[in-house]
Formats: sequence, structure tokens, C-alpha cells
Amino acid sequence: MTMTEAPEETPAPAAERGPKRSWVPRSLLAIPAWVWFVIFFAAPVAWILYYSFGQQVDFFTQIPDVSHPNFHRYTEAFNPSYFPTFKRTLKISLIGTALCLIIALPFSYWLAVKVPQRWRGLMLGIVLVPFWTNFLVRTIGWQLILSPDGFMSSTLQHLGVIHEPLGLLCTQRGVQIGVVYNYLPLMILPLFVAFDRMDPALRESSKDLGASRWRTFTQVTLPIAMPGVIAGMLLVFIPLMGDYITAILLGCAKGSMAGQLVASQFDSTLDWSLGSAMAVMLILFILVTVFVFALIGLALRAAVRSHRKVTLVDVTSDGGK
Amino acid sequence: MATQTTEQVPTAAARPPAKLYKPKADWANRALVLWGILVFIFLFAPIVVIVVFSFNTGRLLVDWNGFGFDGYQSFLDNPAPREAVKVSVIVGVFSAIVATVLGSLAGVALARRPGKWSAGFLFFVALVLVTPEIVDAVALLPWYVTLGNWGLSAFDNGWVRLIVSHSLFSTAVVALIVRARMSGIDETLEEAAGDLYAPPVRRFTQITLPLMMPAVLAGALLSFTLSLDNTIISSFVQVQGVTPWPVYVFSSVKASLRPEIAAVSTLMFMLTLVAIGLVALVLRRGGDSSSDIARTMTGGGG
Repeated sequence: MTMTEAPEETPAPAAERGPKRSWVPRSLLAIPAWVWFVIFFAAPVAWILYYSFGQQVDFFTQIPDVSHPNFHRYTEAFNPSYFPTFKRTLKISLIGTALCLIIALPFSYWLAVKVPQRWRGLMLGIVLVPFWTNFLVRTIGWQLILSPDGFMSSTLQHLGVIHEPLGLLCTQRGVQIGVVYNYLPLMILPLFVAFDRMDPALRESSKDLGASRWRTFTQVTLPIAMPGVIAGMLLVFIPLMGDYITAILLGCAKGSMAGQLVASQFDSTLDWSLGSAMAVMLILFILVTVFVFALIGLALRAAVRSHRKVTLVDVTSDGGK
Repeated sequence: MATQTTEQVPTAAARPPAKLYKPKADWANRALVLWGILVFIFLFAPIVVIVVFSFNTGRLLVDWNGFGFDGYQSFLDNPAPREAVKVSVIVGVFSAIVATVLGSLAGVALARRPGKWSAGFLFFVALVLVTPEIVDAVALLPWYVTLGNWGLSAFDNGWVRLIVSHSLFSTAVVALIVRARMSGIDETLEEAAGDLYAPPVRRFTQITLPLMMPAVLAGALLSFTLSLDNTIISSFVQVQGVTPWPVYVFSSVKASLRPEIAAVSTLMFMLTLVAIGLVALVLRRGGDSSSDIARTMTGGGG
């Protein structure tokens, strides 16, 4: 948008270094944010890391005793009363991420490619509305829909689709519906961006060269949109692992997730060391899962590449810009 | 899900070239349209339900009794939710100011003087963005308590706690938005102002600031909505007496849901709509495409 009358000979590189007249080096402008992050992000996280090696003094003292640092809280977090919750959280998150991808892939493709240009902006705006609606409000909406005493239940019973009140609220399936719903926009948006940035000429030439539509999608469109797919999966999976509000609202007491476990150590049992150890474990769970899936992804890519005669490496780096 | 076509084996001779670029209304395209409509219904179902049920006159939200404005009336009569909305809006405004100032400065530095430091800084930003909210929440609570014990009594204040906590994530988001915009703008304009002897402050206010304004405004509004939405961190760091709206709702969910919750939700929903509309308008005037807007809205992700 910004028209700069650049002289023809030198297109002026953006990050050109050289003597500047400014009396304050502008990299210093980042210092306030830097300080902010150190004081209110790095320090607190380091603090709970420190607490995680301590132990609870008694049931009324919040501040743990870290005079003899040890790993006992971690072994405690691994014991059978807590560990299944971590496993369940991982399962819900993985299934949730996969479902989001399955729902969002055709949808984003349709929005970015098939919907006429002049409607696209408006439609995208409409998709953003739920994304920016309060998380709790949306989940309460689902509570009303899934409730056995709700309108949905009575309508379905009336129509004879089901013969007893809707049994989704307070089940793991209810939680699964809720998390898919809550994180779906985070999958739709990066996929939309990826499909939207792609040059239509690539798909057209693939069709001109005789590829079927399915083949064009799997071998041209999808590989180019891969960065969007990966971004979407990360954007859904990571917050989903930490979410527990959806589980409280739709799963009631049964479907508790790891986040709730961490939270309850801080606000009810006041065992801050155990809570800290669980928070650290949650982060490790996320990192390990992302790492494992990254390895699987790389292996798959290598396998696909070795089978394919023509690679799209150059096209990807051009089209991805 | 798979929109596979098997009958589409192209026979080059049979296909007139002019038809190539026209969208064809075959079954695969129709399936995509149908899927699109279904996803839109899915996305809006709970929101429509909340808006409709806000006019429920029943005592409990889930039992539909009749149409009326009782929910809105009891919101106006009841000071607790009103107070909570007020807290949310004030905290939202101040955390947006903090995040916008810090994030914009960092964004300019990232776009204009990238160097070794910026990789480290971006790593930090990424860490802030990917850390689950519950981890931030449980980390900030003991930290504020500790700071308070060290004599920094400001951190015992509920307002300070909420504003600082909400500004963290938003600072990271604003830094990315401003960086994206400024790296798309040539520095020659600013240099020209310098050549014409504009002092640095004037150069900043008259050239740099207007150029980055769309990103700054978008970032500010996004920070505001993020703050309005924040539940987990708020419920941990809040101090008695300064309860933001989502925390109020969350605690009433545990008791019993009344129509007034839906009424306030509807009002807050309208507020969010206005905020989104403003962001989109600002970005559009700044010349962003819908794809750029999507990137901005997700905090530069994608």
C-alpha cells in the first residue's frame, strides 16, 4: 500500500546497516518488552521450576520448602491417581487436533479457493466472530445444546431420533465436541492463509498436465499448504493440552484434564510443589508430543519424496512467500 | 471429507479451453459448499443459542419459559455482574495500552534493526505464545505473592495483577503484528525525513507513527478482546473485590446458570463484534488483504 518512490538503480534493502543519525540505537526499543517478559514470564516460570523440587510444609502453608531439592514431586505426579489424567488429556488433545484438521481442511480450501473473491473477506470475518466470542460463553452455549433437559434433547425425542434424554453432557464425547468447537477457528485461519497465498496457476497447470483433481490436491495443493497445516496443528494442540475449562463445563467432574489437576493443587489442596511439578510435566508432555510428531512428519516426507519422481521443492519456496 | 473424483479423466480433445477456468458445479464442488454451510452452522450454533436464551424468562437458563427481557433487567438491577463487566473493561483498556506501547516499540526494533538479538527475542515471543495459559497462571500467582513479600506491595493490588498478566500475551501478539507491518514498509521515508533535518522525535511522530498506525490500532483492539476473554489467568491472580467478568461467569456456572448470564454474554458479544469490526475496518483502510487480516487476527500465526 505504501508507495515509496524507490530510485530505479537501488531498491534499498530493508535492513541496511550503516551510520545512522539517530542518537538512540533503535534495537533498544525492544528493551522494555524484553524486561517485561523476563520479569513476568521467565522469572515466574523459573520460580515454579524451583518450587517443583520442593515439598509442602503443611496443609495451610502455600510456599513450599525447597531446602532439600529432590524429584519426589515428579514421581508423585506419575503415580496412578494422577497419571491417567495426563494420558486422557493427551488423547483428547490428539483426537481434537485430528478432528479439527479433518473439519477445517475442506472448509478452508473452499473458503480460500472456491468462494468468489468479493465474498471471501466477509466470510472470513464471519468465521472470526466465534473466535473472538468469549470462550466461556461459547462453551455455555454448548452446555445448553447438549443438556439432557435442553431444547435439543426434547426436539430429538419429539422427532423420535432418540428415545431417552440426550446423554452427551458430562461425558468424554461431550468434552470432545466442545474442544473441537473451541479450537476449530485456530485451525481454519492458518489453513485459509496457506491456501489463499498459493498461486492458482500451480493448480491450473497441474490440471492442464492431466492430473486428476484428487491428484492435484494431494500432490500440489496439500504440499504447498503444509506450513499452514503444521501451524494449525500446533495452534490447536498446545492450548488444548492446557485447557480445562471446557472439560469442567461439558465433562462435569468426570472428564477432568491435566490443567485442572495443576489448578487444583494451587487453589484447593495448596500443594504448590506438586502443582509446579505437574505444570512442568504438562509442558514436557507437549514438547515431547510435538517432537515425536515432527519426527514422524519428517520421516513421512522423506518416504513420499523418495517415491515421487518430480519434487516441488523450488515451487514450494516460491509459492510459500 | 475426501472430495475425490474418479470420472474426471481428462480427454484433451473433448475439453474446450474456454471452460477451463470456470468453476464447475459438479458434485465435488457442491459437497464443498455443503460442508462449508455445515461448518458455519456448527460455528454459530452455541452463539445463536446464547443470544436466544438471553431472552428466556425462566429462573434457570436451560429451561425455556417464555420470551422477555428479565435477564437484562436483572443484570441492570444486580450490582455484582455490572461491577464485573466494569472491571473487565477497565482492565482491558489498560492492559491494551501497556501491551500496545511495549509491543509496538519491540515490533519497530524487530523490523528495523534485526540482528542477533532479534532471534533470541522472537524465541521469547514464541515461548510466551505457546505456553499454556494454566502454566502462566500458576506461575504468576506465587510470583506475585513473592514480589509482595519482598515489599513490592503494588503486586498485592488486584488491578495491577490483572493488567500486568493480561498484557503479557498481548505484548507478544502486538510485537508480531507491528513487525509484520513495518518490515513491509521501506525505511527510505524515515531516512529522507532525517536528511531533511527532522529531529528524531519528530521523525517518529510524523513519519514512523502514521505508517505503523493500522498495526498499532489493530494490536490494541486485539489486546482488548484478549483481555476480555481471559479466564484462567484471571481466576488465579485475581484479588477479592476485583473480579473480572469471565471469572464471575465461571463461578456462577459452578452454582447455577441464570438467564442474566446469557444476557450479559449477549451484551459482551456485541461489544466484541464492534471491536472486530473496527479492527477489520482499520486493516482494510491500511490496505491489507483478507489473508493479511487473518494473519493479524491469529497473532501473526500461519
